[in-house]
Amino acid sequence: MAVPKRKKSRARTHMRRAQWKAEVPTLVKTVENGKVTYSLPHRAKVVEDSAGTPLFLEYKGRKVADV
Amino acid sequence: MPKPTKGPRLGGGPAHERLMLANLAAALFTHKRITTTETKAKRLRPLAERLVTFGKRGDLHARRRVLGVIGDKTVVHELFTVIAPQVADREGGYTRITKIGNRKGDNAPMAVIELVLEPVTPKKRAAKPAAAEAPVVEEAPAEVVEEAPAEVVEETEVEATEAAETEAAAEEATADEAAKA
Repeated sequence: MAVPKRKKSRARTHMRRAQWKAEVPTLVKTVENGKVTYSLPHRAKVVEDSAGTPLFLEYKGRKVADV
Repeated sequence: MPKPTKGPRLGGGPAHERLMLANLAAALFTHKRITTTETKAKRLRPLAERLVTFGKRGDLHARRRVLGVIGDKTVVHELFTVIAPQVADREGGYTRITKIGNRKGDNAPMAVIELVLEPVTPKKRAAKPAAAEAPVVEEAPAEVVEEAPAEVVEETEVEATEAAETEAAAEEATADEAAKA
């Protein structure tokens, strides 16, 4: 079995890991009752009551599924 | 005719995929709305819509062809007697897929596929262009007076803001209703 000849330096490891980057998701901005919410496009959205309890999933004004 | 699927089959092989899709179609016709993965929903859509078309045709030959896919006679009876009359006016597009995010266990993207059983509401196209053209024709003679176009612009702006306000109010009303429900 092939094995590494040398220990990989901390700098090498850090250089490799520096390329791991999080992608910014594309979001849709909607304003409801003066409250700005961001959601994923083409995806059902969770409807919450005033206390923040999730009620059901909604898409284009239509109830889709329970949470 | 559904478009042939590209890429690997669902499940273990072609026969497994046929069985899975047939079972999904039977479940869809029984429950009218099922939750499954996005991939399965997308594969199910052409098959289910084809079966609904057979159901709308309604003769014995069509019934036997559906029975070749779905073995359960009660489901096929439901398709031919309950579902087919409800979509009689609809020209295709019998199913609706809505994406609902990822599953908790394996992070698989999930979707709800349901039969569109609401009555058809035909789209109105000719109404809006006719309404837009009418004011333009009226304004054309009035341009002899220089002040008239400016007033018209102001009026349209006021109307636009009013329309925006009414729309916002309507949205708030619907949101309130949703919150109550």
